[in-house]
Amino acid sequence: MDTVTRRKFLKLTSGAVAVGAAAPLLSIDQIAQAAIDRPLPANTPILVVITLYGGNDGLNTVIPFTDPIYYSSRPDISYKAADVLPLDAELALNPAMKGLKALWDQKKVAIIRGVGYPNSDHSHFSSMAKWQTASPAKHIATGWLGRWVDSQSEDPMLAISLGSVLPPMLAGAKRSGSALPLGGLVIPKGTLATECIQLSKVAKKDSKLMAAAATSMRNLFSISGNVQPVLKSPAPVAPDLPTTNGGNAGGDSNLAQQLDVVAKLISAGSPTKVWSVSLGGFDTHANEANAQAELLGVVSDSLSRFMGQLKATTRSNDVTIMVYSEFGRRVAGNGSQGTDHGTSGPMFVIGNSVKGGFYGEQPSLKNLFKGDLAVTTDFRDVYATVIEKVLKSPVGPTLGSWAGRVNCLN
Amino acid sequence: MDAKRLETSRLFHRFGFGPRPGEYAQAIKDGVDATRTKLLTVPTSDAGAAKVVAPNITNLGPRPAPNTKEIVPFAIEMRFQVQQMTMWWLDRMALSDHGLTERMTWFWHGHWATSVQKLNYAMPMFNQNNTLRANCLGNFKTMSRAMINDGALQFWLDGQDSTLVAPNENLGRELMELFVLGVDRYSEDDVKAAARALTGYQVVRSSGAVTFNAKRHDSSAITILGTTQPFTGETLSDFLVARDDNATFIAERLWYRFISSTESMPTTFSAKGAFAGRDIAAAVNAMANDGAMRDEKNDLVKAPVEWFISACRALGLTPSQLKTPAQLLNYLDKLGQTPFNPPNVGGWPAAEAWLSSATAQYRIAFAAWLIKQSDLSALTAIPVGSRVLKSADWLGVPEWSARTQAALRDSLNDPAQFALLALCSPEYIVSA
Repeated sequence: MDTVTRRKFLKLTSGAVAVGAAAPLLSIDQIAQAAIDRPLPANTPILVVITLYGGNDGLNTVIPFTDPIYYSSRPDISYKAADVLPLDAELALNPAMKGLKALWDQKKVAIIRGVGYPNSDHSHFSSMAKWQTASPAKHIATGWLGRWVDSQSEDPMLAISLGSVLPPMLAGAKRSGSALPLGGLVIPKGTLATECIQLSKVAKKDSKLMAAAATSMRNLFSISGNVQPVLKSPAPVAPDLPTTNGGNAGGDSNLAQQLDVVAKLISAGSPTKVWSVSLGGFDTHANEANAQAELLGVVSDSLSRFMGQLKATTRSNDVTIMVYSEFGRRVAGNGSQGTDHGTSGPMFVIGNSVKGGFYGEQPSLKNLFKGDLAVTTDFRDVYATVIEKVLKSPVGPTLGSWAGRVNCLN
Repeated sequence: MDAKRLETSRLFHRFGFGPRPGEYAQAIKDGVDATRTKLLTVPTSDAGAAKVVAPNITNLGPRPAPNTKEIVPFAIEMRFQVQQMTMWWLDRMALSDHGLTERMTWFWHGHWATSVQKLNYAMPMFNQNNTLRANCLGNFKTMSRAMINDGALQFWLDGQDSTLVAPNENLGRELMELFVLGVDRYSEDDVKAAARALTGYQVVRSSGAVTFNAKRHDSSAITILGTTQPFTGETLSDFLVARDDNATFIAERLWYRFISSTESMPTTFSAKGAFAGRDIAAAVNAMANDGAMRDEKNDLVKAPVEWFISACRALGLTPSQLKTPAQLLNYLDKLGQTPFNPPNVGGWPAAEAWLSSATAQYRIAFAAWLIKQSDLSALTAIPVGSRVLKSADWLGVPEWSARTQAALRDSLNDPAQFALLALCSPEYIVSA
């Protein structure tokens, strides 16, 4: 599988994982209105989840640049020690991640190594479903943050995903997060609008799908008529920001643009505690080096730009970012200047409340399991930590009695 | 709901791309059995399809070097050929007198989902499309072998890079997970073994020509699903297709796309047994006759291309003649579905994925654009006094809800708005 763009991958995964109810779709006007009417109280922590679709090659992201096995396993696609960005004596960041390296130097980045789950699944769709539902052993229909949404009082602004399709991660049993399409909606006016509203009434006899079809149109019209000045203003800009032209991974995979919108809405006071953004294209079976470096550059530049934007607001200390992908890739290159699907990979947790440094054990390149890295940290350890420390919620409703934690957050 | 109207509607919208004006009312008179037989019997010739002129797809050869004067005309021609090919297929869907062949080709395109985004060249995609059409109601064993030898699929899944020294797992995995067996019906060791069996293919990207290079092939004995023997790509295909899981999987995929993407397939679904000899036509026939076709709970959301083509047929429009084709492709892209460009090897999603407010908005704009280019003669031919109810026949809808009737009644003096509301109604977006 190739050219997995964010929007399109989501369309598939959300089809594969049953979403409880049709996801509410928000307009940017609605969120802006809510930001004005009932802004998120100051100092409320906010989680931003970044999903890298396609299986990011962890070994070329956080690189064991002094390990000879790294070089002998993947001679075509290893990075020279001279080119990488060393973090300590053994590990270094991909040369494209200068922005992230600067944040690391400021102790704002936790790198959790060897993250995965038991009995790794090498299918994109299955593995992403396991990460997003946080239920690796058994397929379930709700996402981990969807269950958290279920445990909170009802608010369509509580958890928002950028893009028109909701990721399974935000699907709950009773409620789910909302989706915010990029690009404005053009709403019919006049008598056509009146009749469209008539068409969008859910009838008693409607099947679930017919009702969803009607609802999808109704949501179009449930938007405040007031255009909010918040939206007209540019995203907050700090003078020391690096300039970036954003993502190159496909038309609608622009991570920088998504994060710009998030920064703008956080700054405006949107009553939103969870944001979900994503980037696709990490399925590098062939000609990996350039493709992955370009994508990691986008991730790194977008992150430092986003952190810079937040610096100009009152909420810079409130935001914590979590970055993950559905699996890492095979240790050995596959001969097509690429790598096949693997197992564990690093996760990043970034923010002013983060205790910068390494967590979890770096998987050995010597002791592989069928050519794959060991899993040294279960992703649920990270989720549980984030739920407690960022979302200030008990873990139970989301992850049951899961006991593991990663001590990376103040 | 009237059982006869429901089943007739499903036959038109699921085994074709919807009725032309008049066909649904006639079919109700003819009865369900006669309609089913008619819609499932592919005629020897199709005058409507024959009118669609095949695009001139050529082998454009290797890409010229960057910054040369050859690169610009090359890139323009490459894009032009992809667009011509896409318009040609949409025209075949809209203009064929008999819908089943294109409908099945469309189904298999989503099954062996290959994207021109990676190939770039039209020719390999065009060849694959013709292979799918030639086999769309034939034998699955033959189809699967043909796809192993298909340049577009091989290139899409990195088959040309997979060698004895360095097998690439992409094609082997998807062959088992998405094309022949279904997920969890094999182990990770089987994926690695299948990758070895599939080594040795080479592809000319610009033409899709496939050659087999024995020197790059792993000819040693390989253990796949408990059987140890030397395999080639073709014998691997035969071996996987012969497994019981293949019949289960293809029946599941047919169920998901033709019967219900929200209800799970019952074990009694007759398409599975009918597929015993891997005869696709037999499975499709069994499915069309299955009791599930009469069960009200098996409704299905029309994918955007299906919705668009059925609207073209109702409005008397030819896709390639719409102004402009680029605008058309833009609308399809906004709705998330363009032929030859599936989101990934898993194909397109189904059900609620097509029902966001964003798609509702684009669908309204798209429908308004189409209606502007139609004379709406089929609609205005219906006397105003009976237009609200009879317009259901025009579109092949079993029945309008009271809600939709009210909206249509308010629009009787505005045929364009009437048509737009009908095409964007829940009853037309969803195949009841």
